[in-house]
Amino acid sequence: MNRPGVRSRHTTYLSTAQRPQRLERALRTSDVDDAELAQAAARGDSDAFGGLIERHGMAARRAARAILRDEDDADDAVQEGMLAAWRAIDRYDPNRPFRPWLMRIVVNAALDARRRGRVRHAEPIAETLESPGLGPDRLAEASLLRAKLDAGLAALPERQRIALVLFDAEGWGHAEIAASLGVPEGTVRSYVFHARRAMRRALGTLAEGMK
Amino acid sequence: MTMSPFDHQRDEELGRLLREQLSGSRPEAFLERMRLAVTGQPPGQWEVLAGWARPRVMALAVAAGLLLWLGAWFSESQPAAEPGVTVASLPAHKLVNPQPPDVDEIMGALLAGGGR
Repeated sequence: MNRPGVRSRHTTYLSTAQRPQRLERALRTSDVDDAELAQAAARGDSDAFGGLIERHGMAARRAARAILRDEDDADDAVQEGMLAAWRAIDRYDPNRPFRPWLMRIVVNAALDARRRGRVRHAEPIAETLESPGLGPDRLAEASLLRAKLDAGLAALPERQRIALVLFDAEGWGHAEIAASLGVPEGTVRSYVFHARRAMRRALGTLAEGMK
Repeated sequence: MTMSPFDHQRDEELGRLLREQLSGSRPEAFLERMRLAVTGQPPGQWEVLAGWARPRVMALAVAAGLLLWLGAWFSESQPAAEPGVTVASLPAHKLVNPQPPDVDEIMGALLAGGGR
């Protein structure tokens, strides 16, 4: 299946000989970079775009969950964002990094969902911290940490939460975050500063014990 | 956790906690669902409509052209009817006469109509 909305690249209209040569799945690991996959996707290779989803889907999910605070809403937003990226992949400039381009689309999809009020509800995000092999005391501590993390995140203003997650969890630079939020870089630094301070208050000394 | 909020370096410990907290359950199932939902999309609706429309628009254009040609052919083959015969009870030459009628003719027509 090819990208919807791009008739000229739709393999239905192409003969077998004209169809874009699909990249081998094995190549789609570390030896094929994002730009190459994106270019293959722009030629109509849906498997290549699938590879990009595999690479960046979880980061997109975390960013969307940080914004929407609901698992289902976040997954819907990621899907919308990925679909928008798939439709617009021929507008991606391969000379620029792919990840910020994709993540900006996903973040915007989540922000749009928030603005349009399509969010179903904002319940605490399900407990997902894995605690393999922990005794009862440590399990209780881990559970408390999850609750405090969730409460700390929920208490943050939306933009601080996004900035914190993108900076510390996803490894974005201040400039990238500033561009996607439409604020000056200094404002992003301020967001991260205030968000970290609030999270420190929320978590107390619990996080030290989780190392 | 690195506890200096002024630190411009990433806080790896906080980042790890956030990633774990926000990753959600069954990441493989999520990724597979996304992949299928996005790249498994059917062609866009305009694409479907365009595919449907192209041959039918051509057929409609040909049919419309044929009908126009038939209409023109029929109208040329019919004998021209005398204008005025089906238009009014006035004599035909009164309608086709480029000169305006005189007063007697108008009065005559009015009186003839009023008597019915």
